[in-house]
Amino acid sequence: MKIAPKVIDQIGEAHERKNLYLRELAALEEKAAAAGGDELKALQKKIAELRRNKSEHPYQKELAAYRAAEKNFLAQLKAEEAREKAGQPDDDPALAKLSREIRQSQKEEAFYEPYVELTYDAELAWRNAVVKLRHLPEMMENRRLLNEHIARVQKEKQTAAAHGDSAIKAQISAEKKLIEKKYALRNQELKEKQKSGMISPKAVHNESRVLKRAKAEEIQMLEMKDPLCSKTEELRALQHRHKVELKEERAVMQADLSDLYRRIPVETEDHLPLRAWVGSLIPGLSQLLNQQFVKALLFFLSGLFTFLVAIPYALGFGNFRGQGIAGLISLAEGGKRVDRSIIFMIEGIIAIILLLFAAAAYYFHIRDSFHVEKQRLKGIRPNRWTETRQEISRNGFPYIVSAPALIVIVFIVLLPAITTILLSFTNMDPKNQSKFVWIGLENYKTLALGQGVAGKAFWLILGWTVIWTLAATTLAILIGFFLALLVNQERIRGKRFWRTIYLLPWAVPAFITIMFFSIMLAPNGPLTEIISAIVGHTVNVKSDTTLTRIALVMLQGWLGSSYIFLLCTGILQSIPSDLYEAADIDGARGFQRIRHITVPLVLFQIAPLLVTQYTFNFNNYSIIALFNDGGPFFPSLYGNLAGSSDILISYIYKLTIDKQYQALGASITVIVSAVLMFISYLGFRKTKAFNS
Amino acid sequence: MQKAKTKTKAKKAEQLYLSDRRPLTAMGRVMLALSYLLLILWAVAILWPLLQMLVSAFNGGQSKYISLTGDFHFSLKHFKFLFEKTYFLIWVKNTLIIAASSALLTLLIVSFTGYAYSRYRFSGRKASLMSILLIQAIPVFAGITAYYTMHSIISAIFPFFTRQALLVLIYAGGGIASNTFILKGYIDSISSELDDAAHIDGCSNMQVYRLIIMPIARPMLAIIALWSFIGPFMDYMMPRILLTNPQSYTLATGLFTLINDVRKMNQPAFAAGGLLTAVPIIILFISLQGQLVSGLSQGSVKG
Repeated sequence: MKIAPKVIDQIGEAHERKNLYLRELAALEEKAAAAGGDELKALQKKIAELRRNKSEHPYQKELAAYRAAEKNFLAQLKAEEAREKAGQPDDDPALAKLSREIRQSQKEEAFYEPYVELTYDAELAWRNAVVKLRHLPEMMENRRLLNEHIARVQKEKQTAAAHGDSAIKAQISAEKKLIEKKYALRNQELKEKQKSGMISPKAVHNESRVLKRAKAEEIQMLEMKDPLCSKTEELRALQHRHKVELKEERAVMQADLSDLYRRIPVETEDHLPLRAWVGSLIPGLSQLLNQQFVKALLFFLSGLFTFLVAIPYALGFGNFRGQGIAGLISLAEGGKRVDRSIIFMIEGIIAIILLLFAAAAYYFHIRDSFHVEKQRLKGIRPNRWTETRQEISRNGFPYIVSAPALIVIVFIVLLPAITTILLSFTNMDPKNQSKFVWIGLENYKTLALGQGVAGKAFWLILGWTVIWTLAATTLAILIGFFLALLVNQERIRGKRFWRTIYLLPWAVPAFITIMFFSIMLAPNGPLTEIISAIVGHTVNVKSDTTLTRIALVMLQGWLGSSYIFLLCTGILQSIPSDLYEAADIDGARGFQRIRHITVPLVLFQIAPLLVTQYTFNFNNYSIIALFNDGGPFFPSLYGNLAGSSDILISYIYKLTIDKQYQALGASITVIVSAVLMFISYLGFRKTKAFNS
Repeated sequence: MQKAKTKTKAKKAEQLYLSDRRPLTAMGRVMLALSYLLLILWAVAILWPLLQMLVSAFNGGQSKYISLTGDFHFSLKHFKFLFEKTYFLIWVKNTLIIAASSALLTLLIVSFTGYAYSRYRFSGRKASLMSILLIQAIPVFAGITAYYTMHSIISAIFPFFTRQALLVLIYAGGGIASNTFILKGYIDSISSELDDAAHIDGCSNMQVYRLIIMPIARPMLAIIALWSFIGPFMDYMMPRILLTNPQSYTLATGLFTLINDVRKMNQPAFAAGGLLTAVPIIILFISLQGQLVSGLSQGSVKG
């Protein structure tokens, strides 16, 4: 890469090079590019000579002299600062610091001024000092005045406290009584207005709040007449200024300094991003070379994570039992007796996740170091921590605050989900609990063809699950909608009363209701006795498949209607009544009004929520497990793995937890999840949130 | 006497029909009566079982089973049994701790993500929103096999990591996606001019959230907290999978032992426990019904 004749600052403006050696070099290179033949050779020779005699170049000598002088100067400055700090302490350390900084800046200004034309670094230092000298004295003066002001007010407050003026106090309390009387009167007026029906209770409530606030304000104003009180208040305001003012002024100065930093370029003799190449080995190194210390530390920590956590873990070191990624393939085959395949599998997935995190961190490190390096070659100074911090707080904020969510989702949602997907390709069953192997799509084949112990029941259960989902949800929706229509007729009285009663099935925790119905429908339960008495012979609901299923659907209708009822009520109340009036005028009868106005409007609004109702019942484990635990059981049809009222989710539960056919359970889970995800995708595809 | 009667009759005839509704026809009357009948029937269908529960909780005449026969005499012995012979209070404590910490954790995480997704346009936003939508659809039970093993791995490293803590993490993790969406939608509806003004006045990102967005979004945050509390409170499946020791049970799994286990079976005591659990929740629901429904209709909350 060639050396550019000009350098560019962060704002994009081009500057003449101050480094005469580089300028000469750039000029020669430019000529060489245009030339050909002998001339080119001569120029190339010249360039080589220039490079070889770099240290002999007059500019380089001058630069070296400047660097030495600067080093000397800085050491001196540091020593002086230490001495001054050790000197007698000031009353206000901030003030002392300011005056120290002013003295320093004065010295810096004097020192750097002669070198301004020599190098941009010196120009930056000099102009920094100039800017500081513009700000600091003013800040110091403000601070001094503020301190004096505070001292004065403090003294005034003390005198006020000493002279406690009883006359003023008496006056204040007298006026206070007057104010209280005034507002009591106004409150009274308000209440009378309400009694005579002029304003609503809500308006009275609001108005009395306004009055209360006004009264408090007036009393506060009154109390300020007491000098002690007003001085205390003044002092508080001043102390707040004392706390924040200097910080704000410093921030303004910092903004000016950052601006300078952006406008003054940097010159470098490198023409390859060497620091980035070197630094790519160890995260943080290239940032360190660019003197970005905090950033370097952060990247170094990420490097520690990569080299000390992620990679060793993936290789099998520091695992709980497993072998890192290798364990994912071997699944503990031929391992010790305590080695369990499932642990090997999960640790393998964790290893992959950690590696992905490490790769992301490494990617950011490489991107950052090359970006900074390229900028530097152009002439743009690498950001200091103040600028980096600003950039992070501007652009990095959403990433930082979402990090906890990401970690929780990855380890609590994704990791188990991936485990389940992988398990569905293994043969984990009661015989192969501790050690299992990969078997490909065998489980899916078993299910699809309805083979074996679990496959035969699968299709039966799937059929009942679909019927259950459709019947139970639709019943609940119909009941809820119908009730909402009934209650919200204009002639029905006691709407609040009905609404409160119909809310109850939703408000009582479902598990309690289901268990209670389960008791009542048990043999000898109260409901069983009633039904038997009506029918005339003993009816045992829980040992009859059809009756159990009907009971389940009705129970879910009972439970689920409340929520639909409340939803529809809300929507019905928001339908503007002029629609109905218009329909009346056009001669629509009651039923027609419902069919052509109410039903479409309500359905349109609750349709997306109905999708979730269906998926909810598809997964409604509680009602199946708590009512009859999937029973009654017919081993000839269902094997010993499920009962005739089991739905897929309770079947999965039994397969996985009770009977330990985890692999089969996992494959059903994968199928079910895929279907559910697809359905909710259909449901969400049209929503606003998805499209925006 | 006769005179007075005719007078009132005349008065009645004089009275104008003032309602803006149409006068009821005979058919309308029948329909109205039918409506009331249906409403009353359904109210009975709702109240009868709940009433049964109430009665059997206080009925000292019943021992282990609830039945219609037998006299009613008031007694608190089932409550006494519940408090003295079962772990009821421990279950209450467990449930409250699990539900409250799930709600807190969800709120903490979601308030940040909802704000970030609503207000910032960062690279990867759209892709991650899509993945959030898909993640939301992964059912909670998808990972049941892994949870056991994960717990044994984590608790080997951190011995204090109980199964209940894992439960809290699962509830919170399962709620992040959907609640982020709900909150994002709500914050979207708050004018961003407010935070621009705050930014100009020198507020940092966090201050804008704390001072501007959070007070306005408080109703929605309350709803999210409430649902994140009620969800774990009413859940039965995850505690049944993860909790094995009766002392670590939640109310749902604990009360089930009172009707499921033949040795410990005590149906009236279950009714008493159910009553004690249900009453606070019923009061909560009735007093907050409006907000709860609006919270549900803002977006789906997983059951």
